[in-house]
Parts: sequence; structure tokens; C-alpha cells
Amino acid sequence: MIGSPRVPRFGSRHRGARTGFAAAFLLAALVVGPRPLHAADPPPSEPVVSLEGAPYVSGTSLARLLGATRFWRADVRKLVIRAGSHRLVLTLDNPFVMIDSRTVRMTGPVRALAGEVHVPVTLVDSLPREAGLPRLVFEPRSRRIVRVPSGGVIAAPRLVQSEATARVTFLCDPLGDARVIGRSRAHFRLRMDGFLAGLLPDSVPPPALIQTIREIPSATGTGFELVIGADAQGWRLTRAGDRVILEIVKRPGTEHESFAPEGPPGPRGLRVVVLDPGHGGEDAGVTVGSTSEKRLALALAGALKNELERRLHARVFLTRDHDEAPIEGRRAEIANRVRADLVLSLHFDGVPGTRARGVTAYCPPATFGARERPSLPGIAAPLEILPWRDVATRHAVRARDIAETLLAVLELRGQGPARLRETLPAPLLGVNAPGLLLECGTLTSPADLERLNGPGGLAELAAAIAEGLERWQEERP
Amino acid sequence: MRVLRVLVIVTLGIAVLASAAWFFAHQEEPLPALPGVDSVGAGVQSVQLYFAAATGDSLVFEPRDVVEGGSLHDRVASLILELERGPREDGVKVLPQGTALRHAYLDDRGLLIVDLSRAFQQNFRGGSGAEQLAVASLVRTLAANVADVRQVRLVCGGAPLASLGGHLPLDRPIDVSDLP
Repeated sequence: MIGSPRVPRFGSRHRGARTGFAAAFLLAALVVGPRPLHAADPPPSEPVVSLEGAPYVSGTSLARLLGATRFWRADVRKLVIRAGSHRLVLTLDNPFVMIDSRTVRMTGPVRALAGEVHVPVTLVDSLPREAGLPRLVFEPRSRRIVRVPSGGVIAAPRLVQSEATARVTFLCDPLGDARVIGRSRAHFRLRMDGFLAGLLPDSVPPPALIQTIREIPSATGTGFELVIGADAQGWRLTRAGDRVILEIVKRPGTEHESFAPEGPPGPRGLRVVVLDPGHGGEDAGVTVGSTSEKRLALALAGALKNELERRLHARVFLTRDHDEAPIEGRRAEIANRVRADLVLSLHFDGVPGTRARGVTAYCPPATFGARERPSLPGIAAPLEILPWRDVATRHAVRARDIAETLLAVLELRGQGPARLRETLPAPLLGVNAPGLLLECGTLTSPADLERLNGPGGLAELAAAIAEGLERWQEERP
Repeated sequence: MRVLRVLVIVTLGIAVLASAAWFFAHQEEPLPALPGVDSVGAGVQSVQLYFAAATGDSLVFEPRDVVEGGSLHDRVASLILELERGPREDGVKVLPQGTALRHAYLDDRGLLIVDLSRAFQQNFRGGSGAEQLAVASLVRTLAANVADVRQVRLVCGGAPLASLGGHLPLDRPIDVSDLP
């Protein structure tokens, strides 16, 4: 018997799919393009040939992948392949194959080609799955039989998208480790144990939260890189049974995680808002009768959080959610850690003995970079160092823009009179984000106090603030 | 010869007596002891005190005659005392009750460091509006009545004061020109 020449391994990764998986999942695949090399060595594989339109693999290749020994019995035209304790008997021109004590009918008969026995590739699905016998899969696009590495196999992912949700399901056998290793929308990366034996779509018709998915080199297992649409706001990776499910959503819940910030610092919408209810603990703030500023601010923050999540679909964080005074620097730490687009420090004013009433917004002054610099030719301007304490002044222009829109709406909604002061307030020290300290009313004013303590008073105020931010969001340049 | 000797002796005696008489006649009487510096020149001086306007959004000033102290400490103390006493006209007192001066120091760059009693912080009541008015009232009054003051640094009870009510930072000197 003449062995077929060994075909050099392809420069690209071999694609294989168990035919059972392929039948179920290939419908999701659209177009397949060239795939990059894995960092790890590709698994061993052998080519298949086409006989009357059906894929066949030679007995030599099969034995090589199985690490088996071949015996040709010319008298009965049978090829016997022994791999460990297992035994395969192939008979020329016969569709039945003996696998140990079982008889399996294949999709076509065993054929002879160029002096070598060939068997339909469907045979690999019938091979026993035992530890001592390598597992093989057929990868239809590269038309090769692949020996599955020890990490297992991942079937072609199934991609289901709707207007607000995209879900990618990976069927793994067995289910190994799966983790997200890159959270940016442009390079959302997932690493999984196992060998991908399936097809990936190169593109997805718009509109789609997942725009592309491709395989990337991975030292172990398989890596995937997805391009996520800008509308997506959250993701979640779950495991259920033998499946790993990646879910991308437009409107994230508490169980979803956010994407990494991307692009240079600059204006963007209000995706992350930090609400800072003023005072707390022993510091009650302004107290008039039974009304204390710390309780009112906390209640307003809760109501405003719901409004902002509903109207802006923003992620809203509170610097405190019960009656406590955060330690110094904690408020700024929270705002900076979540990369807030806006920090709103909520307070209620009080000026005893005066007729003061209404709302006041304090925003950082635009002093950063405002100093005069020498313009002598050939002399470099001195480096201007901004203390971290004053970092909020970097965002002064944007903060003032937000404040003006917000105050206009508050005035229209009967919460006025509204005032704007350009002073860096203490709660914004060290906050690297646009921020405002908003005195949402004046408790020493009987009219303001009655309105805020009245039924729906705080709800109306929260709605007015949310409306102001929503309007700014819509009208921003 | 004898007559000549007597004449010389008499002449010398007269000269000695005349000199003694002239010495005692022209000897200055000792100056009385100088009084304390604080009391020298003490008088009544007109000062400008800043209080909050009744609208609660600005300051109004009120002229008042106070006994002028000779030292910087006395001068600043009297101003703070008058602010703490409150207005006699239309203004509203915004300096917390019991605020008094502990120490004052003016350096050659115009930085006035004012160390106030703990009552300044402990007795403060109000929001950011009251806080801003209290600080502005104090700083504007000091700048208007103490020469060469460009910046004011507020210290409370001998310790740095981060903020009066948690709204406006006081950890740095307040530039008089920054106040509204």
C-alpha cells in the first residue's frame, strides 16, 4: 500500500467542526475570511479528498492522527487500524465499518484511490470517546481532519442579535475556562479553553451591537476579538451547562459590567453620573425644624438616580447611600474611579436671617491655562503645573455649560430663582470630571421649605434636574 | 604782691561759683516715663464693616467709629468684635456667634494670617450661601481696614481650617481681589 504524501500544514489555523456541531451552528456563519496563526502550535491535521462530492480521508491519515497501526489484508480487501485497545475494520466498497464490537454504517462506501483506502469523514464522529483515543473533528472549510487538543473543542459560536441585545453562545466540550481579557468596544477580547472547530462570521449586517468577531492568537486555548457598537453599554459573561454565553446590551442592569473607556479625554455624553448627597453622619448640614439637609439630600439622590437611569440610560453612582459622612477624599475617589462624566454634589442652602431662596450652582472657575505666557521667540513657555486639588478646573467650560442649562430648566420648573457662581467648591477638590455643587433649594426660605416638604416636592425637583441634564445631553455640541 | 594773690583767689572763687550756678541753672529735668505704645495715639477711627444684605446674595457695608488699637492684633480684634456684634443698620450678621481673634500676623507680601477662636467653626450654621457670606464679610472687612492686606488665610483654634461648613475650601489663602 502506498501512503499518500503528507500535505504541508496550512499557513492558517485549521478550521474543523464536528459535523454534528456544524449542522447546528453553521447557519449563523456568514462569510469566512483568512484567520491568523495561533501563537500556540496548531493541532495536528490531515487533508481530506473529495470523491463524488463527498469528503473522504485516507486510511493512512486516519491512522496517523490516531497514532494507530495499519494492517492491510489483501485477501479480504480489508484495512485494519489498531489504536491501543481499539480496532477499526474497513472493507473496500462497503459502507459498514467495524469499530471494536460495533458496526457503523457510513454515508458512503470505503473507496480505493491511488492505491490507498479512503473512508468518509463521517467516521470520525463515530469513533469512541475515551481517554486513550485521540479525538478527531472535520473542519469543512479547510477540508482537514484535526486532532482535538486536550483543552477540548469549541463549536462555531451562535450569534443572535436584536435591537437592544446581542448574544453569542459558545458550545464547549468540555466546558473549560472562559474569561474576558479586554473590555474596550473596539477590542473586546475573550479567551476560552479549547480548540475552535467552527466558522466565524467576518461581518454582521447593521444595525448590530456586535459588528465583527474574529479569532486572535492565544498562547493556550482560543482567543476571540469582537468589535462592539457604540450603542452597547454593558456586557455579561455567563456559563450554563456546556455553554458560555456573552451578552451585550444597550441598557445594562446591575448584573452587567461596563466597557473600558476609549479614545482621548474629551466631551461625551452623560454615561456615568456620580451623585454626591452632601453631609451625612454627625454633619447634618442645614437644619430647619425637623428638616435636615443630610436626609433631604440623600432622598433627592435616590429619586434622581432613578430619573437619570430612566431618562439618560446613564450609570449612576452615589457617594453614600445611607446616613454616613464619607471620609475625606472618598467622594473624589469614587468619581475618579468610575470615570464620571458628571459629578453632582447635592446640597440644600440656608442663610439665616435673610430672604435668600431658590437654587445656586457652584462650578469650577475656568482658571486653568488662563495665565499669560511669554511670547518671546525662541523661548519655551514655562510648564504650567495644575495641582491635583484643582483638577476639576480642567472641565470648567463643560461644567458651566451644564450648569447654565440645568439652572434654566430649574427656573422654568418653579425651583428658582437660580444663581450661578464660579467658585471651586470643596466637594469637587480632586475630582477629575465636570462637576457642580448644586444647592437645590434654600431651607431657611419658608416657601422653599414648604415646597420641598410637600407631597411630590422632591420628586418634582429630581425630575427637573434630570430634565435639565437630558436637555443638555440633547443640545450639547 | 599779696594783694594780687588775694585778687586771683577771689576771682577764681567767683568763677567756680558762677560755673556751678550756670550748671544747676541749665540742668534738664528728667523726662517722665513713656506710656505704653498701645495707648499712644489711641483714638476713634471710622471703619467699614461688611455684613450680608437682607437678600442673602451680597454684602452691604456699614461705617462705624471704633477705638483704634495701636497694634495689628488690636486693630484686627476690634474689627472682628464689631462684625460679631452685628449690624446697626440694614445688614445681617453672618459671622458665627462667639468668633474672636486669637492671633494675627501680616507678612511683607500682604498675607494676613488670622487665627480665630473655635467658635468660628463650631457655631457656624447654614449652607454654602451663608458660608460664602461669612468668609466674604470677614475678608472684605479686614482688607478694607488693614493696610497692605492682599490675601487672608483663616486658621481656627491654631489649626488649619479646610472648610467652614464643608462647601467652600479654606485650605489656601483667599485673594482679596477674588471676592465678589
